[in-house]
Amino acid sequence: MKSYIYLMALVVSGLMSTTVEAQNVNDFFRAAGSPHNPKVKIAFNKYYTSEGLAAISKQIAEAHPNLVKRQSIGKSTQGRDIWMLAITDYSVGDANRKPGFYVDGNIHSNEIQGGEICTYTAWYLTESFSDVAYIKEMLKDRIFYIVPTINPDARNNYMKEGNTAHSPRSGMIALDDDSDGLFDEDGYDDLDGDGSITMMRRKSPNGNMIVDPLDPRKMIQIGPDDIVTTQRYEYLGSEGLDNDGDGRINEDVPGYYDPNRDWGWKWQPDYVQRGAYKYPFSVPENRAIADFVLSRPNIAGAQSFHNSGGMILRGPGAEEDVATYNRADVRIYDAIGKKGAELLPGYRYMTVYKDLYSVFGGELDWFYGSRGVYTFTNEIFTGFAYYKNKDGDRDQAYKAEKDLLLGDGFTNWNAYNHPTFGAIEIGGFKKNVGRATPGFMLEEEAHRNMVFTFYHAHHMPLLSVDSITEKSLGNGLKEITAIIKNDRLMPTHASQDLKYKIERPDYISISGANVLAGMIVDNDDFNITTEQKNNPSKIKVGNIPGNDIVKVRWIVKGGGKVTIAVDSAKGGLVTKKQN
Amino acid sequence: MKPKLLYILSGWFLISSTTALFSQNNYRTHHTVTANLKTLAAKNASNATLVSLTKTIGGKDIWVLTLSNGKPDSNPAMAVVGGVDGSHVLGIELATKFAENVLRNHKDVLENTTFYIFPNMSPDASEQYFSTLKYERQANAKKTDDDRDGETNEDGFEDLNKDGLITLIRIEDPTGDYMPLEEDPRIMVKADSNKGEKGTYKVFSEGIDNDKDGAFNEDGVGGVYFNKNFTYDPPYFKSGAGEHPVSELENRALLDFLYERWNLYSIFTFGPANNLSEPLKYNASNAKKRVVSSILENDAKLNKQLSEKYTKIIKAKDAPTSGTHGGGFFEWSYFHFGRIALSTPGWWAPKFEGDSINKAPKNKDANFLKWAEQENISNAFVAWKSVSHPDFPNKKVEVGGISPFIQKNPPYAMVDSIATKHTAFILEVVKMQPSLLFTNLKEEQLGSGLTRITVDLHNQGMLPTHTEMGTKSRWVRKINITVDLAKGQEIISGKKRQLISNIDEDSTIHLSWLIKGKGKLSVKAGAPQTGTNEITINL
Repeated sequence: MKSYIYLMALVVSGLMSTTVEAQNVNDFFRAAGSPHNPKVKIAFNKYYTSEGLAAISKQIAEAHPNLVKRQSIGKSTQGRDIWMLAITDYSVGDANRKPGFYVDGNIHSNEIQGGEICTYTAWYLTESFSDVAYIKEMLKDRIFYIVPTINPDARNNYMKEGNTAHSPRSGMIALDDDSDGLFDEDGYDDLDGDGSITMMRRKSPNGNMIVDPLDPRKMIQIGPDDIVTTQRYEYLGSEGLDNDGDGRINEDVPGYYDPNRDWGWKWQPDYVQRGAYKYPFSVPENRAIADFVLSRPNIAGAQSFHNSGGMILRGPGAEEDVATYNRADVRIYDAIGKKGAELLPGYRYMTVYKDLYSVFGGELDWFYGSRGVYTFTNEIFTGFAYYKNKDGDRDQAYKAEKDLLLGDGFTNWNAYNHPTFGAIEIGGFKKNVGRATPGFMLEEEAHRNMVFTFYHAHHMPLLSVDSITEKSLGNGLKEITAIIKNDRLMPTHASQDLKYKIERPDYISISGANVLAGMIVDNDDFNITTEQKNNPSKIKVGNIPGNDIVKVRWIVKGGGKVTIAVDSAKGGLVTKKQN
Repeated sequence: MKPKLLYILSGWFLISSTTALFSQNNYRTHHTVTANLKTLAAKNASNATLVSLTKTIGGKDIWVLTLSNGKPDSNPAMAVVGGVDGSHVLGIELATKFAENVLRNHKDVLENTTFYIFPNMSPDASEQYFSTLKYERQANAKKTDDDRDGETNEDGFEDLNKDGLITLIRIEDPTGDYMPLEEDPRIMVKADSNKGEKGTYKVFSEGIDNDKDGAFNEDGVGGVYFNKNFTYDPPYFKSGAGEHPVSELENRALLDFLYERWNLYSIFTFGPANNLSEPLKYNASNAKKRVVSSILENDAKLNKQLSEKYTKIIKAKDAPTSGTHGGGFFEWSYFHFGRIALSTPGWWAPKFEGDSINKAPKNKDANFLKWAEQENISNAFVAWKSVSHPDFPNKKVEVGGISPFIQKNPPYAMVDSIATKHTAFILEVVKMQPSLLFTNLKEEQLGSGLTRITVDLHNQGMLPTHTEMGTKSRWVRKINITVDLAKGQEIISGKKRQLISNIDEDSTIHLSWLIKGKGKLSVKAGAPQTGTNEITINL
């Protein structure tokens, strides 16, 4: 009942804000690059709970029925729907045969921006469709599958329960972290009731910390040669109690497993890869995504949003998996990734295993290794954003919290009487500082990440029948040659795909003539061809490379004008009739 | 006509099994196993429960039969798994007979041990043994594109000689690279050009190249192999492997069940892997890698010891090399589940030793045929017979070869004694299971209400509480030792709760606390896989 009332309240508040903002369009002046008078008004200077995101995606779908189909692709651990928006121009072509681009956010529950970036992307695509030719063109040829949160339970836990900026990260399946037979029995406790888990400190004559005399928020570590003339303190860890009386604090928090160690490419168990759950896709939210992606062989590009650090990441995740990423594919990753670094100031294009850490079972490795889909993970937000120069240290965060957030990001130290530690003080950065982008910068960060995904989606294969030529061979025989063109960077099959035959070949078919033979033309000038003896009217082509052509030829008898059809799982369907 | 005949046959099996429950004369169909298990559970209601974990994509139940004293969670447990390889119907029989033997002759073992018995993990595949078209099948009923060419199930077997068995075809062809084996020309072997041998035949499995891609029967009905769909060293994009590890309903259902059974200390597999007649070998460098690929040192010692026990009881030698090639269940049960993992095919054809006149062939298949002849097994080989073949219109094509199933599954008459020996071995292992006992309790009064308590915690069992691999796993619980204080008591020194990663077989750890106060206090130690022991102390 409670969640139902809550949902109703949200819908009502959504309606209310609509009425407040619905002023006369004559009172607006168009800002370049943003939807001018959107049907759905969304504030992008705040974060939404899972129910909030669900309500917004419903509004977007209802406002744009010709562009959006909204579907629940599965249920979370606690029974929430995982909402997916399939966005394309449904008036053109067969929607699920267009090259597809998959986007999700929030696999790590505390890494929330993905929810808003996905929502912004869905909103931008639908609200700009009639004004922006680039978007119109994109939705004619492509379909976007957008899942704003793939960890809705724990997203709410992050927002509504006492958490640090780094928790829960996990999903909400209870696990026994301390091997005592009890599950999630000793999590954090928000002792001061500020909604965040901050730090506990205690005055101690032998402590190794002092308060910075120039900034009462900050603690300084005492060095071996320092002469201390002021009160010493010791840190006691994150806010919490020994709930289960085992002599430890916060040792069995909600979760804990890492949903991004659960994917089915080179998966390893927990003792090898900390965070893995039982087996690949044993986390139900991931299972839903994997089943969905396996049912959509048209998905050719993918993006997942995390935070933080300002990174555009590609695989391999694990050092042991270096050989999977071959040179031809890395060239394509590099082209897109480097463009991303340009579109996202402060972000760096990096490779997970060598620039971050070496991990197994990540989402991006499954998409690429198992499905042959070029995939990036962006780590949203970096300290660079505060002063638009370098990404600074913790000192910069203190400075920005004062200068830019005007003190809204820190809970000042306050006395508390702790049942185990006695008189202590509690304080520190709130959970929405450090990783989550501050409100006034969120729309910009969403926009920049969105245009990066557009660049990536733009370069999915775009096929056309470039030309159909005919040559008479005498005796009523004709030679028909078709050139199939791929105008974009990505091939219809990544090298990884070709290596393992992940996806079926592309089919190039001829109709309207009696086919005697069919072949792939390897070199037209020297007439080097490879004949396909079986079923020659449907030529199987292993790959249509990026920014390149494939030439096929048939020897036919009789018939009039022929029709050529290209059928590629990742490249879509194209047909052309001979002129 | 055919389906009706099959129905009548299975009806016959059903009748025979209900009239003579424990004395059938052939391997049992899934239908019969199901009926037998239901009867067994009903007759032993206080010790046995039968639950279906899921239905396969082919609509068959995956059964788990739990044998216990009525409280399965209260005792350390072993899982016994059959049907790991769908063509190994013996495994189904051995797992089922183990349950029958325990309930009939060894119920007392259930006082201290729980068994979770999974008679058949590959019911979609194993039914092929009873089908009118018999071939060794491991795949479940999932539709898969085995050759990844975009078409599904487009090139299966054909029974060209209409004998109901899928064997081989051989085609006389100077470009072929097979030739008849010298010591038994019925057997076709690859010619070795390095030895000056010249191939004269092409050899394929029995059938037609339906999709004309040059490969024979490479994409028939099904599916994913239960024993190729686990997480240890899984093959990717290989026929039978699945799109990712643990993709199949039966694999998931089994693991979901096992991960919830914290009391499991051992998994016994009837399958192609064999670490009982030949223990796994420790390799230091592979054991130290991040992705561990060797049994760990202490576990190797334990494996060796159990293997010796097995050989003593089973008395069979010359086992074939382990038959798993990645993604196997046995490997998962050790490397990823950290339990004492035991696996055996249960039977293999003994070596034909021969004598100076009747010589023993070196070739494995030829040797097998000699043994079969000696045992009067008449249907071991399907004699080569000419057929006309649409793919080779002007060539001599013959169908023949060793019958399917026959090298993995002995004549049924042998099964009872194999089952009895394996039951005996499992019960020997169970006798060794970990068991914790507090002993040598000492209370020293230090005056003024202060007492020092010292006590030993002894693992009386002949198996460690944790395998070395298990100590690394979050899925094997540590030994929890807790002190429950009465009101007014206080621990001055020592831990209220502590965790112990392992106590080796017949080993002891020493514990000590300083307690202030009077009255009763209790100390408890245990883990689900070891059982729990508790002592009460009066201060």
